[in-house]
Amino acid sequence: MRSRAYDEVTVGETLPELPVPLTRTLIVATAIASRDYQDVHHDPGLAAERGSPDVFMNILTTNGLIDRYVTEWAGPAAEVKAIKIRLGAPNYPGDTMVLTGTVTAKHDEDRRVEIAVRGANRLGAHVTGTVAVRLPGGAES
Amino acid sequence: MAQTEQDGYEKRLGEFAGREAAPPRPGPDPVNVPMIRHWVEAMGDRNPVYLDEEAARRTGRAGIVAPASMMQAWTMRGYAAATAGQDDGSGLGELIALLAEGGYTSVVATDSEFAFHRELTVGDHVGVREIIESISPEKKTALGAGRFVTTERTYLDQHGETVAVQRWRMLWFRPARTPPGGREPAALRPRPAVNRDNAFWFEAAREHRLVIQRCDACGALRHPPGPCCPRCGSYGWDTAEASGRGRVYSYVVSHHPRHPAFEPPYVVALVELEEGTRLVTNLVGVAPEEVEIDMPVALEWLDPDPELSLPVFRPVTA
Amino acid sequence: MSGLSGRAAIAGIGATEFSKDSGRSELRLACEAVLAAVADAGLRPSDVDGMVTFTADSSSEIHIARSTGMGELRFFSRVPHGGGAACGTVQQAAMAVATGVAEVVVCYRAFNERSGQRFGLGRADAPSGAGADDAAFAWVSPFGLFTPAQWVAMFARRYMHEYKATGEDFGRVAVVDRKHAATNPAAWFYGRPITLADHQASRWIAEPLRLLDCCQESDGGQALVVVSAERARDLPHPPALILAAGQGSGDDQHMMTSYYRPEITGIPEMGLVGRQLYGQSGLGPADVDAAVLYDHFTPLVLPQLEELGFCGRGEARDFIADGHLEVGGRLPVNTHGGQLGEAYIHGMNGIAEGVRLVRGTSVNQPPSVRHVLVTAGTGVPTSGLMLGTDR
Ligand SMILES: [Zn+2]
Repeated sequence: MRSRAYDEVTVGETLPELPVPLTRTLIVATAIASRDYQDVHHDPGLAAERGSPDVFMNILTTNGLIDRYVTEWAGPAAEVKAIKIRLGAPNYPGDTMVLTGTVTAKHDEDRRVEIAVRGANRLGAHVTGTVAVRLPGGAES
Repeated sequence: MAQTEQDGYEKRLGEFAGREAAPPRPGPDPVNVPMIRHWVEAMGDRNPVYLDEEAARRTGRAGIVAPASMMQAWTMRGYAAATAGQDDGSGLGELIALLAEGGYTSVVATDSEFAFHRELTVGDHVGVREIIESISPEKKTALGAGRFVTTERTYLDQHGETVAVQRWRMLWFRPARTPPGGREPAALRPRPAVNRDNAFWFEAAREHRLVIQRCDACGALRHPPGPCCPRCGSYGWDTAEASGRGRVYSYVVSHHPRHPAFEPPYVVALVELEEGTRLVTNLVGVAPEEVEIDMPVALEWLDPDPELSLPVFRPVTA
Repeated sequence: MSGLSGRAAIAGIGATEFSKDSGRSELRLACEAVLAAVADAGLRPSDVDGMVTFTADSSSEIHIARSTGMGELRFFSRVPHGGGAACGTVQQAAMAVATGVAEVVVCYRAFNERSGQRFGLGRADAPSGAGADDAAFAWVSPFGLFTPAQWVAMFARRYMHEYKATGEDFGRVAVVDRKHAATNPAAWFYGRPITLADHQASRWIAEPLRLLDCCQESDGGQALVVVSAERARDLPHPPALILAAGQGSGDDQHMMTSYYRPEITGIPEMGLVGRQLYGQSGLGPADVDAAVLYDHFTPLVLPQLEELGFCGRGEARDFIADGHLEVGGRLPVNTHGGQLGEAYIHGMNGIAEGVRLVRGTSVNQPPSVRHVLVTAGTGVPTSGLMLGTDR
């Protein structure tokens, strides 16, 4: 994986789209990997009792996927400085979330780049937010 | 609830603002490679700096680091605590009980805002301290009536140094009755892009004031606002408060596409204020087929979520 | 007549098939359209020295030039504002050719607008930055007004109110477009005309707009080759002379939401374009033998007829009901089927039809066409062309 340098990034540039197939296994596996055992993230019967049509992805996983999305683009040298998200439509099994992103700001003083991120499923926006990463200065090998 | 009872409930809720949600508590395990591996496998994250010492050093780091987004996971209490129930005598436990008293028994996380001070390395031991920041008035949401509870979580390392701060918001709600076949999930209205030229308008709206930008040199009113007066060129401006009375200049009844925050058919109107400027808004309290151009309307406020307040209009008799 | 009039000509046109799922990249579509247009002009890719497209296009000219073996380019330019750019690309090319800055300029637009990113779904949750262009949507999107059909519906409702127009008046535009498309083998709706009753029975999208008031969403590409008039005379097809080319942004212009002007039933930016077209060419509305009017949504065809002087304010509904848009009428319009009937290629396929009308090769060719007026997107800063036969 190549690391992106601060100077090669321009405001307005878009990140490649990342479709994330939302399998039931993904939703359960990521909930457990984040040590989140709330029933709505793994038990369809109890989720229905609570008024949800099915289990849905937990917010820690949304954070994790957005972190992955931005650092895949930015490369291993990037340091994540902030992840701010707001959730909308839930991620249910069988859907696909498509992540998109746009560079919205650059801060020369600490080589920090801000990226507006959106993850949409067929119900609408699952997540909108911004991620800030610090990038290396010169071009890296 | 009766009004006095209601006031009492609000007051009891309000007393939680500023309280500690839970005493500082260290996570069950220090930062370790097996949990990182479990996380990155599940997330599909192939960044080598999380598992490969050599790759991490090539990026200038001392060794393996944990994914930033994993911060909260280090402090999750896990299976035993999740199944043992919520009331643990903490401030948050008391608040949850009080919310249940108001019928707010279901919960979803809606916002997470992380600022990371440093990366975590293997052996770090993270704990969290959580302060209750605010409890919103009751809001109508697509999930049901509810209250947003905002807390601030400070993540501390084994030396007591802050490694991250997280603003965390959950919606506690009374589940709406589920129609057969399931129901639309909660969704937020599209966010306005707020910048230096338009922020004043949205900030005034948060205070339920409908303002119109006014040139301080020639007095011209303008909406949508801008940094400079097209009539005289002045950069100076203040605002005039709108009376809130106006007429429907045109309107749209939207059916398609479906957006989860809007229940079709819904009415979007172009309202001409008596001050002379127009704005795009929604009409409430009127069926789409009853809307007419030139219909007199009056201002009301809609708070679709804690971050957004919008002026809407209701037909009135002239 | 201006210094631009008659100096340049469209000598080649080329397109891909028009579909709902091309199965190919947008760059591939652009290459196919460009190579077809260059071949139609009787030229080789290496003859091309300039390229123009929309700021909205995803394929920069360098990718096409590299892929098609054009070699060096000495002129490249892009025109903003969505479909309003269409005729503006030809204006850029004509100015470059007329001034000798370039000799062979290709204008192009290609996208997978149906199988890829669909404009019709709107920009409700588009990531937004702090710039003025994004912030402009803050005044509409939070209220649920975030699609092109919705934006146009606001104008349409006011137009109906002021001029007592009806949904059927809009529907007649769709019917004539689909009638023309029905005999055009390149059109998506080839062989599938509609009646006014079909229009009235179609579902609401954003009242007063019905499904059949809205153009298609299409995958495809279209390219045009612009050279000097002299050079065009030596190439295989009769030249389509560029008698005039203009752009227009009106007073108090917004992107699709110019709702704050004293009147919102006209399209002042199109009036501005029309005045330039007539001024540059020395022609008037009576000299125009056919037109290609941008038809992403039917209601905005009516004020175009008024702004361009083909009828008076509020009279477009009668002009249309009297059959003047049909072949054999006073002003045959969208003889290829328009974007409702042929394909939505952001107005570029309409310019190609303008060229065919001048060449005399439209599938619905009216007799004796000498001057064709072509318009670009409405609701946005726009552009237009007056094309004409040679001598
Ligand atoms: Zn002024």
